[in-house]
Amino acid sequence: MTTVRHSLLLLIPALTVSVDVASAHHSFAAVYDQKRTITVEGVVTEFRLVNPHSLMLIDVTEASGRVVKWTVEFDGRLNLTEGGWTERSIVAGERITVTGNPTHIDSPRLFFRRLTRPNGIEIIRPMDAQENTIDEQRRRAREKKPAAVSSP
Amino acid sequence: MHRISAVIATVGVVLACAASATGQSPQTFEGMWSDPPVTPEDNFCSWWCTDAGVERLRALLADPANDARPFGQLVAEANAHQENQYIRPRLSAAALKTYPLDVATDPGFTRCEPWGFARQVTSRHQLQIRRTGPDRLEMRYGEWDAHRIVYLDGRPRPAGQAPTLMGHSVGRYEGGALVIETSGVAPSWTQFRSAHSDQLRTIERYTRSADGQRLQLSLSMTDPWGLREPVVLKKVWRWAPGAEIAPYKDCQRPNESATRK
Repeated sequence: MTTVRHSLLLLIPALTVSVDVASAHHSFAAVYDQKRTITVEGVVTEFRLVNPHSLMLIDVTEASGRVVKWTVEFDGRLNLTEGGWTERSIVAGERITVTGNPTHIDSPRLFFRRLTRPNGIEIIRPMDAQENTIDEQRRRAREKKPAAVSSP
Repeated sequence: MHRISAVIATVGVVLACAASATGQSPQTFEGMWSDPPVTPEDNFCSWWCTDAGVERLRALLADPANDARPFGQLVAEANAHQENQYIRPRLSAAALKTYPLDVATDPGFTRCEPWGFARQVTSRHQLQIRRTGPDRLEMRYGEWDAHRIVYLDGRPRPAGQAPTLMGHSVGRYEGGALVIETSGVAPSWTQFRSAHSDQLRTIERYTRSADGQRLQLSLSMTDPWGLREPVVLKKVWRWAPGAEIAPYKDCQRPNESATRK
């Protein structure tokens, strides 16, 4: 089964713009294409919650049956722990679907944006999750605003 | 009863005098700080921001035309505004030659080189402030697990001392603020991605909110080589006693950046 597919549906503008700002201090743009996201499915073989950049290795089985080892790069431990992550947030042996920014040369490597477990639970990059929280705050504030009164 | 009150008052006066003599602040800054609460302005200033950028962000958030636009887009716009309208006009011709630092050649990324003082001082995430002696504070940053010493005894920078990555910092308490002056910083990069020289001078002014939960920094930078006029950056942290700083290890140089399309 081919487990690598381009995920055009995930190319939402908010995601693209937020990466430009949030990751600028680590210059991820030098390696990863912030304008594209792709999704791969595989089995985790290792997750390292370390600084400066956390890493995950996953085995992805291609249509031919060949297993390709993908590297998923995250923000550093200092970012992820602020979002509540621990060394056990991702464990070896679990099957996941992960979405991220591909490299400019399309090597088997991603910059992490989100992952989904078979039970549907989704884990989002903490910095993106913060922006989602703020958008939710803005939406609620708009709903609380009294409706404008039109003049007679 | 009167005697007990008098003793308590005397002890209080003695302690106050002792605190003054050792330079202790009436409002301590010591402890662990980290990323601020998730609100629009604090998110924007959890790294570095300027008054111009904050003003722009407020205007964007207040405009109903932007209600449907994601916050990330507004931040990007406010960030571009502060870079183009505030930072760029203050850069010298010499600094503009390499501005902004190309991400593909950023030494912190491509060569795993720790950041210098001007980049480190407004880095995101943890900041631990510790009193490590009667005459000094230690400031430890989550980013790069970097350390710096802030001398509280007013000692001048040793004559002939070569500039260093973190420079020479001398601090004092002014009312409720911790004020730190730094010089002797080796040429490197600022957080807003411009080069600076060893003539960089900075004044950090830390204040703590009335409820003690927020730490605010105002950082004034001058550099006759790199800046036409002073640049003032702002940053905020929240009180985070449970936060930890993890070591930096296994920094890997990317081997794919040179082949960027």
